Amino acid sequence: MRSRTDRLNKWFAEQTALSLGIAALGAVALAIGLVGTLAFLWSEGLTPSTELVETAVSQTQGAILWTSIALGAAALSGFVLYKRAPTKAAREATISGAALGVQAILFSLAFLVFRTGEKFPIFVRQFFSFEVLSEFRNQFVTGAKNTVILAAGGEAVGIVLGLIFSLLILSSRRVVRAPARAYINLFRGTPLLVQIMVGYFGIVLGLGLDITGSIVVIVILGLNAGAYTAEVFRAGIQSLERGQMEAARSLGMSYGKAMRYVVLPQAIRRVIPPLTNEFVILIKDTSLVFVIGLTFQQRELLAVGRDAFAETFNSTPFMAAAALYLVVTLPMIRLVTYLENRLRSGLVGVAA
Amino acid sequence: MTEQRSLVCLENIHKRFGELHVLKGIDLDIDAGGVVVLIGPSGSGKSTLLRTINLLEEPTEGRVIFDGVEITDIRADVNRVRTEIGIVFQQFNLFPHKTVLGNITLALRKVLKLSEAESVERAQQELKHVGLEHKDDAYPGQLSGGQQQRVAIARALAMRPKLMLFDEVTSALDPELVKEVLDTMKHLADEGMTMVVVTHEMGFAREVGSRLLVMDDGRIVEDGVPREVFENPEQERTKSFLEHVL
Repeated sequence: MRSRTDRLNKWFAEQTALSLGIAALGAVALAIGLVGTLAFLWSEGLTPSTELVETAVSQTQGAILWTSIALGAAALSGFVLYKRAPTKAAREATISGAALGVQAILFSLAFLVFRTGEKFPIFVRQFFSFEVLSEFRNQFVTGAKNTVILAAGGEAVGIVLGLIFSLLILSSRRVVRAPARAYINLFRGTPLLVQIMVGYFGIVLGLGLDITGSIVVIVILGLNAGAYTAEVFRAGIQSLERGQMEAARSLGMSYGKAMRYVVLPQAIRRVIPPLTNEFVILIKDTSLVFVIGLTFQQRELLAVGRDAFAETFNSTPFMAAAALYLVVTLPMIRLVTYLENRLRSGLVGVAA
Repeated sequence: MTEQRSLVCLENIHKRFGELHVLKGIDLDIDAGGVVVLIGPSGSGKSTLLRTINLLEEPTEGRVIFDGVEITDIRADVNRVRTEIGIVFQQFNLFPHKTVLGNITLALRKVLKLSEAESVERAQQELKHVGLEHKDDAYPGQLSGGQQQRVAIARALAMRPKLMLFDEVTSALDPELVKEVLDTMKHLADEGMTMVVVTHEMGFAREVGSRLLVMDDGRIVEDGVPREVFENPEQERTKSFLEHVL
């Protein structure tokens, strides 16, 4: 924390009035364009969509956008002075200001033109009818919950299967390897959508099995994730130096003990980032299960969005579903980056 | 036919890696006590020979008898035999996810089934033995190469082996760290540990070794007291090899 304030102080010390001014100009330009627009629309009321359109095409909104463009242009023109900046930090600030200015100009200009379009009112009604959402609010909350349950359940099954099958495909015996390889190839080589359809319509409905839809889905997602996870674990195990296994065996450990106490603890640490990545993909893959038509209470996000669309013929529910997927996946994506950085910095798994 | 007095008997050992014929019929008896030093040009098969003694390399042909038990027999309990043969590697091969103490106690607890308290006590004893009693909390990555190698020696010693194998243990070390590891090994030899040492350290071979084997092209070409072999090699190629390394 302290070093961060130190660096900030140093950065300020190296700035000139001009470089700071240009950086601030660019930042303000973009802030007025983006935040200003959103705040204005928000303050005038997002519903109903007819009023939202009126706000968006109003003169006040135009003034906001023109202000943003003017400030952005000023920041951009400051760019020609960047060579006069006496320090590297000051130059960087000038360039940042200019870049922000360009972004402000592009956004505001696009919005300025876009809102004059003939279909603009229809567009807003189709995608930003927030009044539609309030009706389905509880269903979306349930949908998001179900998405997380399906993904977490599938991942749990997938990790167990992946671990088992990664050990099987590393066997020195062909008769052990071959069936494990066949499973992995089957589930990696066919589309998940086909697996869901065969599994649910073909096996469960076709054979008249009495299993809850969400359980079927978790099993199918788990089988699919297991095939990918097995390869991730295999790569992790094989990334360890051969000497680790040899050292463990030379101390009298059996193959199983050496795996359990020496190889796997290190391999699992190494594969946590790709494993988290697989989980993000699995979260999004749950959207495919809408095809089997789960019961009202078991529907995941996309099924809720699609049903809401069918009822209202409005696309706002899709936007809501997409936004909720992001709410779930973005923290996971951040986690992957964090873990990768931590691994790279050598806190875990530095080999001798 | 098994001589009970020898700790290790190798009988007609061959090792092939595919087309490559690495060991070409090795017969060797090693008695308890004493330091056998194994030298030879790279690719001569000395590391492979060392690793067949604890079956890290399974011989393609031939028998390995350790302490009266034929361990190449398919019915032999190789895991149990390995607890009696310690090995130290060129690359240390410490477990990076475990502390120094954890590295040493792991096999004591999981293989020898000692209690937590017993294993820790024994580990600390062995750390003291190699002069690293204050490093028990450290992770291998926080130690110098020489310290890591001494931990690896302590880890092997903690099993209370009857035989210690050293596979070019100083080759991966910075020059200034070689001595501390060699000193530890010398100390161990002085205590009477039976050791087989593959090394390029000719000074160590001459000073500490009680028997010197020279390998060339998969065969043992010289076998004798180090001083005599160094001064009076029987084979012409041994002479030229020694001229290169001395």
